[in-house]
Amino acid sequence: MNRFNTHIIPVEFEYHEPRTIREALELLARWGEDAKILAGGTDLLVQMKMRRVEPKCVINIKRIPELDYIREGPAGVRIGAATRLRRLERSGAIKRLFPALHRAIGWMASVQVRNMATIGGNLCNASPAADTAPPLMVYGARVKLASVSGERTLPLEDFFTGPGQTAMRPGEMLTEIWIPRQPEGTGSAFIKVARTAMDLAKVNVAVALTLKGWSAFNVRIALGSVAPTPMRAREAEAALEGRPPTEGLLRRVGDIASEEIRPITDVRSTAEYRREVTKVIVADALRKALGMVRVGGGVG
Amino acid sequence: MSSSSVLEEIRRAEEFLVVGKGVWRIDALDKVTGRARFTSDFVLKDALHVRLVKSPIPHGRIIEIDAERALGLGPVRVFTAADIPGENQVGYALPDQPLLPADKVRYVGEPVALVAAPDEDLAEKAAELVEVRYEELPAVFDPLEAMERSDVLVHEDRGTNIAEMTRVRKGNVERGFEESDVVVENTYRTGHQEHAPLETEGAVAIPDTQGGVTVIASIQYPHLCQRITARVLGLPHSMVRVIQPYVGGGFGGKDDMGPVVSAMAALVAFKTGKPAVLVYSRRDSFTSTCKRDPSVVRYKTGATRDGRLKAIEVQIILDSGAYANRGPYVLWRATMHAGGPYEVPNAKVDGFLVYTNKVFEGSFRGFGNPQVQFAAESQLDELAERLGMDPLEIRLKNLLRPGSRTITDQLLESSVGIYEAVKLLGEKTGFRAKWREYRRERAGRVRRGIGIACGYHGISTSRGVPDWSNATVILGRDGSVTVETGICEIGQGSWTAHAQIAAEVLGVPVERVKVVGGTSDAPDTGATHASRGSSIGGIGVYVAAKRLRERLAEAAARLLECDPSDVEIREGRAFRRDSPDDYVEWEELVQAAYSMGYEMSATGYFFLPKGKFDMERGLGYAYPAFSYIANVAEVEVDLETGKVRVVRVWPALAAGRILNPVLVEGQIEGAIAQGMGYALTEELKFEDGRMLNPNFTDYLIPTSLDVPEVEAPIYVEDLYEYGPFGAKGVGEMALIPTPAAIMNAVKNATGVRITEIPATPEKVYFHLKEAGVVAGE
Ligand SMILES: Cc1cc2nc3c(=O)[nH]c(=O)nc-3n(C[C@H](O)[C@H](O)[C@H](O)COP(=O)(O)OP(=O)(O)OC[C@H]3O[C@@H](n4cnc5c(N)ncnc54)[C@H](O)[C@@H]3O)c2cc1C
Repeated sequence: MNRFNTHIIPVEFEYHEPRTIREALELLARWGEDAKILAGGTDLLVQMKMRRVEPKCVINIKRIPELDYIREGPAGVRIGAATRLRRLERSGAIKRLFPALHRAIGWMASVQVRNMATIGGNLCNASPAADTAPPLMVYGARVKLASVSGERTLPLEDFFTGPGQTAMRPGEMLTEIWIPRQPEGTGSAFIKVARTAMDLAKVNVAVALTLKGWSAFNVRIALGSVAPTPMRAREAEAALEGRPPTEGLLRRVGDIASEEIRPITDVRSTAEYRREVTKVIVADALRKALGMVRVGGGVG
Repeated sequence: MSSSSVLEEIRRAEEFLVVGKGVWRIDALDKVTGRARFTSDFVLKDALHVRLVKSPIPHGRIIEIDAERALGLGPVRVFTAADIPGENQVGYALPDQPLLPADKVRYVGEPVALVAAPDEDLAEKAAELVEVRYEELPAVFDPLEAMERSDVLVHEDRGTNIAEMTRVRKGNVERGFEESDVVVENTYRTGHQEHAPLETEGAVAIPDTQGGVTVIASIQYPHLCQRITARVLGLPHSMVRVIQPYVGGGFGGKDDMGPVVSAMAALVAFKTGKPAVLVYSRRDSFTSTCKRDPSVVRYKTGATRDGRLKAIEVQIILDSGAYANRGPYVLWRATMHAGGPYEVPNAKVDGFLVYTNKVFEGSFRGFGNPQVQFAAESQLDELAERLGMDPLEIRLKNLLRPGSRTITDQLLESSVGIYEAVKLLGEKTGFRAKWREYRRERAGRVRRGIGIACGYHGISTSRGVPDWSNATVILGRDGSVTVETGICEIGQGSWTAHAQIAAEVLGVPVERVKVVGGTSDAPDTGATHASRGSSIGGIGVYVAAKRLRERLAEAAARLLECDPSDVEIREGRAFRRDSPDDYVEWEELVQAAYSMGYEMSATGYFFLPKGKFDMERGLGYAYPAFSYIANVAEVEVDLETGKVRVVRVWPALAAGRILNPVLVEGQIEGAIAQGMGYALTEELKFEDGRMLNPNFTDYLIPTSLDVPEVEAPIYVEDLYEYGPFGAKGVGEMALIPTPAAIMNAVKNATGVRITEIPATPEKVYFHLKEAGVVAGE
């Protein structure tokens, strides 16, 4: 069977536009694995046209007002799963508090696509290259999953289980992303290596660290497109944790991260190049993050 | 009309009212308001939708095509080679390409059957159910290997995988190299390039009441589509009518594919009696249409100590894919342009066009020339390096000038503006100083470099291949002007240029002129390719309009009671030169001319005079004229990621009269973007003949954000005697030297020569590493 984009959806399905989360969850409970949630559709519709997924029921969640919000609170920011990328990009709170996420979103696709695509869709699609995943991971974001039988939250890191695979169970949907405020003196950055201005990542990286005195603490490094899921480079983080971020050390941290990743060769790049470039951009991102703290652009 | 009189007139003319001005595109409003209609906007309600059944293997015999399951789905029809009423042959240069193969398939993606159904979903599903049984044959993918092998043949009847050989033998290269103080030798490789037009290939065919068929299609040459479609259907040409609606980009591909999709849609319409629509999916457009030929070019250049070129020895190998298509012509062009726009006293060039089991290659902006100019222009910088010269100096020493001879020994008497263009370009960009500075610096991680490359491109068909222009101009009773031409509007603006030429000659505002082009109802004007649309195509318009102007001057003379030679017609008024206030309005004049018995339509025909060409030695008259181009590119190279960013490009063009500077700028900017994609990001990847990235997710053309700043072009108006108002071709020019300009700049930045494009970050990174170039050096 063809597995390419024919620009038509050659399968029949039921279509629903619930107005509340409750309604959506009931539909999900009824249809189980035969249902697919439609948010911006920028991933899903392509996959349906390619017949990679052939749902019997499509549930559009973009008409649910309770899924579209950015709320700044004392402990952090809550984002509704169906919030469009463009709205996040234009949000002062996101830009101020989570510059790496802001940068990642501004670098995704094009304005037209960002006007449709949602943050929840980017995460639930679970591509190893998803650009919002590394920044959310370094900020320690948690995701809220809901079903008719209740809600649970888990760290975003535990959410991804494989390419296109998540910890969501049948009947569950993502309703909210919560990002905690970062401590005083935190700097963060995002870098993507891509072939043109509108391209999926060959490698992407986000880092966050808190500077106390001369030393870096709370070091977090997350990479995409270099393993079956977006991943933390924990050994690289440990190498920097609690130590002064000298130029030599930053380079070594890049080298360690490059050893930790598990890249493959595909049409987008080679494993070898991914390893080489990881060294460079991890160090670059750390320098950038440090620069942000030092010029006082750190997060309060 | 004698040619010298045309040139004389142009020279005499001191001022133009329409020509040379940034006149609005006549299609601008249609396009920005969305009124413009393209092929797929013409789908009729009762039309059958056509889908391709494509070969999944690179090489194999067709044992059986079983359509039973597909037909079982409902009102479905399936067509194979056996259903073709006429001749199953669409080969262009050689008769080697069936519309649908009867015996064997030669590449993955080759269409083996057409499926038609009343709706797209059904057609799609049915196409999947057509079962084709193959006996797989061993395949060859590498042209160097294919050349040597006779056990695996893409076309058995030819006995070899070499489809065509070309050569140039000028002077004595052995002696030339002996007399050289330095000799540089390198091998260059270029990859495939996909045209990536916004609108994919497509055709709508409608049976007519007289047993013929009308085809509305995305094309570049209506009369060729007519000819091929008629051949496939076994009809006289007159029974096939071809019309071009707006076309969403051609770049050469639709010159080759237009006839194929027209014939396919027409076959279905002809056999079913129903309208049929075939629109290629983006994937079809990748897997099953022609591309730019990949190349391997071995290049040896010799020069004396003072930088004079002495000899070149070049071997060009073009990978033609499964069919020859335009390959022999592409190869000839590459061969005859192999020296670059320079004086080279001794030249030996050998060209080979080689079949492989990959998608076939064909026409693409530049037509074989970008491949060889990449090599020639890289070589020149390498020579300069060895001689301790700068790139500008070595070029200025060797560039063609009026009176020079090309490597085919063609004498260029006039219209050779490249020397002046390069000189001006060098001054404008401050090339020398920058080049020296960047070369001296070479420090840090992100390095800057500047590079220059030139190119030239023969206008019209090559060698003795006949070429002509032809158009009809009709004046309506109300004074409106219709220009009928076979030239297609494919986004480049030719129709606007045609309208400008007619308006200028007739003396009416350009808004009065309507161009009806791209149709087989107009005279056969030849193809819209080889940068000939406005330049060659415009000659017929010029000649026809001239005829009408003479008649109108006579009619006006009778009304104004003067001699026709005293009549002036401009801006829609005819008057006596000595008393402009005493005038006749254009409408009155045309009506009066009708009543006086003047024929108010005229055809313009011009057969281009061509000289002799000796195919044995590859010497003689190659082209009626050449356009010239030089680009300077400035780049930044990130040593640690291998990424090359093109910051700025300065073009200089010597293409005769610039009929419309706005259109020309558009062509230059587009060509630079396309050339940059070719040089840096656009790469088709194959695995056992299967294309791995037939989509825009993984075949990367530059976006508007990637395109560099393109500075205002320098124009050297080296008028060409037969061109309309002295114009030569423009469309292909700026692409040709772009890859070499970029790679020469990369060399300036890093000291490393990259001989293979696309120079993806991976390639650049590992090349730099191998050469030991690291940041902070
Ligand atoms: C031209 C183009 C360029 C792109 N560039 C980039 C890029 O640079 N970087 C990048 O990361 N991505 C890119 N993408 C991919 C895509 O745009 C993003 O992943 C986007 O965020 C997906 O969001 P969506 O709302 O459109 O998701 P949809 O397509 O609606 O959904 C995606 C998947 O998630 C599921 N889903 C959506 N919401 C929920 C929910 N609340 N609960 C449970 N499941 C849910 C859907 O069922 C589906 O399986 C690009 C896409 C295109 C078409």
